[in-house]
Amino acid sequence: MGEGLYQAISKAVTEGEEEEAIKRVEEALKNKLPPIEIMQKGIVAGISKAGELWKKNEYFLPDVIMAADAFKAAMAILKPRLEEKEGARKGKKVVIGVVQGDVHDLGKSLVIAMLTSAGFEVIDLGIDVPLQKFIDTAKAQKPDIIGLGAYMTTTMLEMKGIIAELEKQGLRKNLKVMVGGVPTSQEFADEVGADAWGKDALDAVQKALKL
Amino acid sequence: MANPMFDILRGLIYGNILPVGKLSPHARVFATLMGKRGDTVPFLAPQIHDHAMTVAKVPARKYYYDAALLVNTQIAVERWYDFDAPMITADNYNFELEALGAKMVYSDYGMPTVDTNQPLIKERGDLDKLGELDPAKGRIPIGVEIARLSAAMGLGIFANGLFCAPFSFICGATGYPKAVRALRKDPAYAKELFDYAENKAIFPYLKVQATAGVKQSLGADAWAAFPNLTPEMVDEWVVPSALRLKKRGKKELNMRVGAGVAAADYCEEDPAKFNKEIMFKCFTIARKMMPMNMTMTIMGRTQDWDMRWVQEYSVKNKNWWRKIPIYASLNGRFVRDSKPQQIVDKIREWINIMGRDGGLLFFIGNVPADAPPVNVHTALQAVHKLGHYPIAKDLSAVTVEPVKFTPFDDWLKGQPEADVIFKAREKK
Repeated sequence: MGEGLYQAISKAVTEGEEEEAIKRVEEALKNKLPPIEIMQKGIVAGISKAGELWKKNEYFLPDVIMAADAFKAAMAILKPRLEEKEGARKGKKVVIGVVQGDVHDLGKSLVIAMLTSAGFEVIDLGIDVPLQKFIDTAKAQKPDIIGLGAYMTTTMLEMKGIIAELEKQGLRKNLKVMVGGVPTSQEFADEVGADAWGKDALDAVQKALKL
Repeated sequence: MANPMFDILRGLIYGNILPVGKLSPHARVFATLMGKRGDTVPFLAPQIHDHAMTVAKVPARKYYYDAALLVNTQIAVERWYDFDAPMITADNYNFELEALGAKMVYSDYGMPTVDTNQPLIKERGDLDKLGELDPAKGRIPIGVEIARLSAAMGLGIFANGLFCAPFSFICGATGYPKAVRALRKDPAYAKELFDYAENKAIFPYLKVQATAGVKQSLGADAWAAFPNLTPEMVDEWVVPSALRLKKRGKKELNMRVGAGVAAADYCEEDPAKFNKEIMFKCFTIARKMMPMNMTMTIMGRTQDWDMRWVQEYSVKNKNWWRKIPIYASLNGRFVRDSKPQQIVDKIREWINIMGRDGGLLFFIGNVPADAPPVNVHTALQAVHKLGHYPIAKDLSAVTVEPVKFTPFDDWLKGQPEADVIFKAREKK
């Protein structure tokens, strides 16, 4: 039954069927399937599949938005149960968002999924996030890491301003900054003053663990 | 400014019968728009509003609120660069939303922008609370004046009003994700949004433009570019909407209304995902909304494209035995970030592929405010030298010397726009 439910959750997330994803996650929880497995085999598998289809030009931005919606809805149901389970060993706190002017949600969703699986506490600021919101959240939440994402060469330049502002306001002392997204690179990360560059979701988590 | 009818005739004759003499810039554009050769490959003025403001050193808080200043500045900067056809643009996506009460972000250094964190339509019920656009509100009167002045200052057929096309208006009002969710999951709501955008927000704006004597108006629709929307979604939603506005504009206002400018523009950012089939589909769907039959590229990452694809599409879809003209847009970031020689090399490559049989027009997709003027001058000089007909057999043997130009302020002295621009620089 577990495998069938995981597949159903995964399919619902990939296809952006938000209500179906919620229904199946609730069903899995009712059947006492482990929350971490529901996330990894169902939700993360589903959003990863959407990512593969995006890379293959079989999915386009609207499909990705729908998949990310279903991902977020499913994660919202699961999050309290994951936190109950993780409780005492709650990891570092990460604030993550896609910079202003950019609405590409997929990469960020994948990174969130991977970070959550690795035990990080993740605060998702969403997409098209203005500089001030990053600054305000850094002050209010005191995260260990801020993750900045961008998909476009035009919007990635926002990252430089955000990092400079964090520096200016004296917020970098205990805060690491990671950047990622298609147009970014290690050279770009160095240029804008980031502490790490995530080549992809997996790499982002590995680097976050080392920061 | 020459007589537009004379320029059209001259371009027509040059392109079809008698390719003799030197053409005026407008006649050069007309000859090319017919898919023919002019005397030189033409370079149309791009979307340049923020860049022109920066070059002319006029403050944003005056420039975007004073139609005469905005129009004069752009005309002057475009003439300084020597573009073949002028174009006046403003922050086209904002006027209707601002007048309807959308929260805006105003800046000392750039154009006003809709604050997408506080959308006008947060939930479905908000749509019912929005009334019809009041054309006396916000900067709508300035938008109308920009269009009126563009015509009055002799831009001829390149003078037009501007508006925000329906899908981009919806994105501005709700945020892009909500707009896409409506299209995908709630078509009835999406129809309501389009109906409101077309009839209650945009049409009243077009109406005051028509009353001011504006004969044509273009609606920018960058939010409907690929991959924000798939070509199929553009075909299903954006094309019918553009055609509805076109029909209504003609019938009720006697105005040519072209919504959907930049809709289906192929803007894939990842070169690894460039796909000829999807690109061609985008070209075909975009043509359904265009006033002219063209292969249009506007904002895409064209510096990394294989332009043989674009040429192939234009030849395959020939119009009266001639390839359809290509509107070839140099990417704005490429123009900003490249060295002059890289720009020359790119232009050489493009003319070699797409220019030999005529029907090629150059353009820049939105010149960034901080693009170095030397790069724009270089692009113009390279197009006019390398694109001189007949095109040299071996273009690699043609040298484009480093560009020399008079600094803008020195050039401006004595120009008709000088007073307006210099005065705008003064502190109040």
